[in-house]
Amino acid sequence: MKKLLLTGLTLTAAGMLAACGGGKAADQTSAAADSKADTKQEGASEAAKDAAEVSLWTYPVGKWGDSATVDGIIKKFNEKYPNIKVTVEYLDYQNGDDQINTAIEGKQAPDIVLEGPERLVANWGAKGLMVDLKDMFEKDAASDIYDPVKAACKSPTGEFYEYPAFMVAHCMAINKTMFEKADALKYLDLDTHTWTTDNFLKAVQAVYDSGQQNVGAIYCVSQGGDQGTRALVNNLYSGTFTDKDHTKYTVDSEENKKALQAIVDQAGLNFDPSIAGGDEITLFRNGTLAMSLCWNASQQTNSDNGPAGKTNAGDEIIPMLFPSDDGVTELCGGIWGYGIFDNGDAGKIEAAKTFIDFVCNDETQVKESVKASGFFPVRPSVTGVYEGTETADAMKLFEEKFMPSMGDYYQVTKGWTTARTEWWNMLQRIGAGGDVATEVATFTTNANAAAAQ
Amino acid sequence: MAKGVYTTRSKELVRRETASAYMFLLPSLVFFIGFVIIPMIICIYTSFFDSTMGKDAKDVFIGFGNYIELFQDGIFLKALKNTFVIVIVSVPVVCIFSLWVSSVIYNLNDKVLSVFRCIFYLPVVTGSVAVTVVWKWMYNNYYGIFNYIGKGTGILKTNINWLGDERFALACIILILLTTSVGQPIVLYVSALGNVDNSLVEAAQVDGANELQLFWKIKWPQIMPTTLYILVITTINSFQCFALIQLLTSGGPNHSTDTVMYYIYYMAFKMFRYGYGNAMGVVLAIFIAVLSAIQFRVAKER
Repeated sequence: MKKLLLTGLTLTAAGMLAACGGGKAADQTSAAADSKADTKQEGASEAAKDAAEVSLWTYPVGKWGDSATVDGIIKKFNEKYPNIKVTVEYLDYQNGDDQINTAIEGKQAPDIVLEGPERLVANWGAKGLMVDLKDMFEKDAASDIYDPVKAACKSPTGEFYEYPAFMVAHCMAINKTMFEKADALKYLDLDTHTWTTDNFLKAVQAVYDSGQQNVGAIYCVSQGGDQGTRALVNNLYSGTFTDKDHTKYTVDSEENKKALQAIVDQAGLNFDPSIAGGDEITLFRNGTLAMSLCWNASQQTNSDNGPAGKTNAGDEIIPMLFPSDDGVTELCGGIWGYGIFDNGDAGKIEAAKTFIDFVCNDETQVKESVKASGFFPVRPSVTGVYEGTETADAMKLFEEKFMPSMGDYYQVTKGWTTARTEWWNMLQRIGAGGDVATEVATFTTNANAAAAQ
Repeated sequence: MAKGVYTTRSKELVRRETASAYMFLLPSLVFFIGFVIIPMIICIYTSFFDSTMGKDAKDVFIGFGNYIELFQDGIFLKALKNTFVIVIVSVPVVCIFSLWVSSVIYNLNDKVLSVFRCIFYLPVVTGSVAVTVVWKWMYNNYYGIFNYIGKGTGILKTNINWLGDERFALACIILILLTTSVGQPIVLYVSALGNVDNSLVEAAQVDGANELQLFWKIKWPQIMPTTLYILVITTINSFQCFALIQLLTSGGPNHSTDTVMYYIYYMAFKMFRYGYGNAMGVVLAIFIAVLSAIQFRVAKER
């Protein structure tokens, strides 16, 4: 018995020691694969389709975070490519980056990841971790991808680190009942879903005067949903977040300072460093806030808590473009697509490309892939995605009134991770009484220092 | 001759038993070395390098560069100050409160004692995320229960943004930390007070000792080892306050709730500055070690 126990313990210990040494062995294997990858590339295509296993890590982009939906898509993929096995890991925006970065450091990065250019291109791509997908863009199916979308997927040095799948323009929304009660609807153009900066401020004041102390929240506990606060500030007086070439941050412009000061001075718009975008949506839906800065088509058609397009109390939600002084609103866009981590295995890379090609370009699949996201296709040739669905009207509204206002995709500017952090920290300081000019100067200095590195 | 045989057999027996003991220890030793000692060495080693993901020149040896930088980093110093505030407030409060509660309940009947143990231990076994979500709701700026009660009783005129106001945010974090930290010390103190030698207590009572003297002269010395253990674990837990910050405030507003642990996480996993993060880890470990050593020394002298 004792001998048996000792043998067992010895084997356990040996196993653990072997596991400890496994990392080095894996490194060597990876390194060997690295050196052979190029030579294998050519013949890998067929091999990949013969048999391969790839991992897909997906952020919760609509129903791409829902296992039932994704399993269905993989099932269809496997009907066409039975020998490529796809395993899925579902990430959230709170911990997803940490999970991927930890995996990268542990040389266990996934093969495919679903996210946007700010991560795929400006972050992991810039760090040399991603595969150049240029060959996928040379295929016929990619020929009519919108040019701005293509540009967002491309690194400054010309590599494509993302193959785009769907997109949306982020907007804002108001509670129609609250605005009606405050007689503030007259400040909105409900046909075009637009308002001028002056009318926006008048409307907020009117709603505030009607007894609604919290009209809107400048949420800033973290970066969650920060595209809303950025879009509000940049549009009010036609400021920009970066220069056109995406080489430096321009938040310290007079236009942005004026906008931030207007927000500070406006009763009813409260800086709230205890909530993020998701919390703000909850507060808007439950009637605590009269407007949301963190809205899009997917939110408008969300029926998880009740009928789509209504608050929890049944008030009508009207999506709006951000207010602008010159009548030209630039909405922050979201472009989601697939990137492939360069794990040094040509077979897996080819299998990953096969999967991406299927979900983005296969005629029988592409609409379903887009529909799962709740957003819009990146190619004009893909039409009628939501035809015959309950959300068809709402999606048509967004397609016609909001998508054309999609602005510059500046999220690929170098130092973006630092800039995002600096942004919500800056809002916190301004909300606590910090001088606008001083705080935007601090933001710009720190963000541009990161961009210059 | 016979004695020599016995000695040889005895040595053989000792050797075998020692070998067996080491074999039993081996699995945990391997884990300890693999998951504590080796990472610790790597942490110290990396702290001397500019190890930043995505930098062209990765892992450049910079000597004490990270250490010099962190003591010039205003946010780190603020995080260090906040961490010390948490430790200085929470350690004595946890110890005194748990000792007081334990003194009151330890000689109650078993059923009542179990109920109290259960009540105070519940936050310890409840998932920290669940606890935090409930507290987040209670602190809510718009419809939280604290504002509701405050306004209902006339104490507050307007809602307070408890987690969004620099004046209150850290105190709110400490309050949550206290409620989740007292469970284990109470259970330990109840057990320690129950094990106090009753004959000494009775002898002191016969000699006319009052309640305070009984506690201070008889019980307190006997529960000192437990107190030391509680002091050390509470100090370490307070130094390592992270989950609450991550889930509630992300270090804000304006870094008023940043702690060293959170800043380590932020630097390592958000800014990818592993070398800098490791340097902070080393400094934090030194602070914890020094404070624990002082606690041991003081307790030993008492």
